[in-house]
Amino acid sequence: MRTEDFLRESAALPGLSGNEQAVARYIADAFRPLCDEVRIDPLNSVIARIQGRGPKVMLCAHLDEIGLMVSRIEEDGALRVGHVGGVDPRILPGMRVTVYGRETLLGVVGAKAPHLLTAEERKKNYKEEDLYIDLGMPAERVRQLVQIGDCVTLEGGFTKLLNGRYAMKTADDRSCVAILLRAAELLQRVDTAADLYFVASCQEEVGGYGAMTAGFGVDPDMGIVLDVTHAKTPGTPEYEAFSIESPTIARGPFLHPVLTARLEEIAKANNIQFQQEIVPRYTSTDADDLEAVRGGVPCMLLSLPVRYMHTSVETFDMRALEESARLLAACCAAIDDTWRDDLWI
Amino acid sequence: MDLKTLCEINAPSGNERELRRAILEEARGLCGAENVRIDRMGNVLAFRKGREVGRPHVCVSAHMDEVGFIVLGATEEGLLQFRPVGCIDPRVIVSKRVTLGDQKLPGVIGAMAIHLQTDKDMERVLGYKDLYIDIGAKDKDDALAHCPPGAYASFDTPYTPFGEGFVCAKALDDRVGCYNMLELMRERYPGDVTFAFLTREEVGLRGSIGAGYAVQPDISINLEGTAANDLGCTESRFDVCCPGRGVAVSFMDNSSVYQRRLYQKLNRLADKGGIAHQPKRGVTGNNDAANFQRAAGGALACTLSVPCRYIHSGASVCCLSDVEAQYALTRAFLMNA
Repeated sequence: MRTEDFLRESAALPGLSGNEQAVARYIADAFRPLCDEVRIDPLNSVIARIQGRGPKVMLCAHLDEIGLMVSRIEEDGALRVGHVGGVDPRILPGMRVTVYGRETLLGVVGAKAPHLLTAEERKKNYKEEDLYIDLGMPAERVRQLVQIGDCVTLEGGFTKLLNGRYAMKTADDRSCVAILLRAAELLQRVDTAADLYFVASCQEEVGGYGAMTAGFGVDPDMGIVLDVTHAKTPGTPEYEAFSIESPTIARGPFLHPVLTARLEEIAKANNIQFQQEIVPRYTSTDADDLEAVRGGVPCMLLSLPVRYMHTSVETFDMRALEESARLLAACCAAIDDTWRDDLWI
Repeated sequence: MDLKTLCEINAPSGNERELRRAILEEARGLCGAENVRIDRMGNVLAFRKGREVGRPHVCVSAHMDEVGFIVLGATEEGLLQFRPVGCIDPRVIVSKRVTLGDQKLPGVIGAMAIHLQTDKDMERVLGYKDLYIDIGAKDKDDALAHCPPGAYASFDTPYTPFGEGFVCAKALDDRVGCYNMLELMRERYPGDVTFAFLTREEVGLRGSIGAGYAVQPDISINLEGTAANDLGCTESRFDVCCPGRGVAVSFMDNSSVYQRRLYQKLNRLADKGGIAHQPKRGVTGNNDAANFQRAAGGALACTLSVPCRYIHSGASVCCLSDVEAQYALTRAFLMNA
């Protein structure tokens, strides 16, 4: 499957944290021709295995996305919403959204008009409670079609920019699920020793619960977590944002030092450009949870830089995605029983 | 020409060429090429001779242009710096898609990730000096090679049917007026009628200065889209007008006090014809009627508007029955002027 098609199609499917069924089914189908077994666990994580006799490796990227949830229906039919995951309310005014009620409905996010605001209010951003969703129908019809708790996804859209860059909703983290898929493709003709579990985890945006439970089920010897990191734009803090053109390999106390060094060596040996990312504490990825599953899972963290994270125009470089997949596949091919040796000495 | 086609053409103020060409061709077909001209401000003026003599000359007008953006330059990393053309609240452009130039190059307006912002940052409005259009350029030279300073951008929003009887699109202000004028042009009326498709309304009612002088009508009926604030439990005294309740008839706005007798005649005609209408309840906005009212020795003027929610955003919303009501009331007036 072409990576571009996967990204376009998966971005169009809803997968709010905790309600990932639709996108999980789609991703399971995408893995099926590439893997020996594929299942969806009780929380909606997809677990796809390429069987091997060597160490068990869990490759993990999350499939869930941030979004909104209907919290109240006003008398005039306007919907009030709460957020699922870290939605920046500044991106919402004037946004087209999809409301998953009894029917799938187009909505537009409205706010009090600028000329009705006081001079003081005009200097401030709209807060979530100032905003509403317009469905373009009478209030009684809204009440027939929408219930409190219905999911709302942000503006979809998949835009091809210049130089192999793409802007889309849910580049966080379906671009990394695409890396998993692409790596699985690259491994089709390779005889790998490792027992590989490709996991598209649920509920990352609300706390890493998918990686935690899928990790328990898989019980891996080690983990490679893939997530997005920040790409540089004007004003981004030093050391927290990276060039959009190549992946990062993270170092820090939550990540295994020896495994990380091996991943870096494999990148160098295969002539794959990468940047170093130093994470002094929590990585704010599935690695934080996977690392603490059962008796502990030594983890590596490979990240794809995206601009404008948690907006509907998350922008990444397709070559960096491709190179990440090449690195992941090379690493999977290299893992054998020697990786079981005591990694702490 | 349907409303979808009209809305999806990009025509930010000062760059109306593509829309002007489309309207020119349509107008020539409907009125005869000899009756259509372009004036020195780029307005399209189409003349329909009346069937009778001694009737007043009515000018029906709508503006072709839409609010948009213009490129100033680029940063070293290849992000385009830009400003609005017309009034666009910067709070509605974050995380939205645009297209640039005649080749409709796609671009996005991002915001720094929520993770990298302090609570204080989150309160501050991201203004035009903080926002960039990302076209995927490698660096400054690459960006400016594709989008030189002066390149225009428009919201990239498909025209979409919405809810029950509504549509969501960019540029409903004022393609609804352009659409109705093209429909009205299909008929002849008792008196002479000039249909004026205007440029650069959104940057200060500029095109109508030239058109008012060129046409010098007895009566001006200006067709507009105007802001409605009726949803989200806004106090009703602030709503101005409500989509779905008919064409909004103005008694006054920020640029004109309309002659009472014309306002009342329009209301009477709407009542008589069973045409859904509402007064525009509030003195807001400026429009081209001002320049027709004051052109040469003066004219009677009024504005008939389609209520639009989220006007001047990439996702404006209006009700199609109000578009029909704007057509019906304008037609009734032309038949009775």
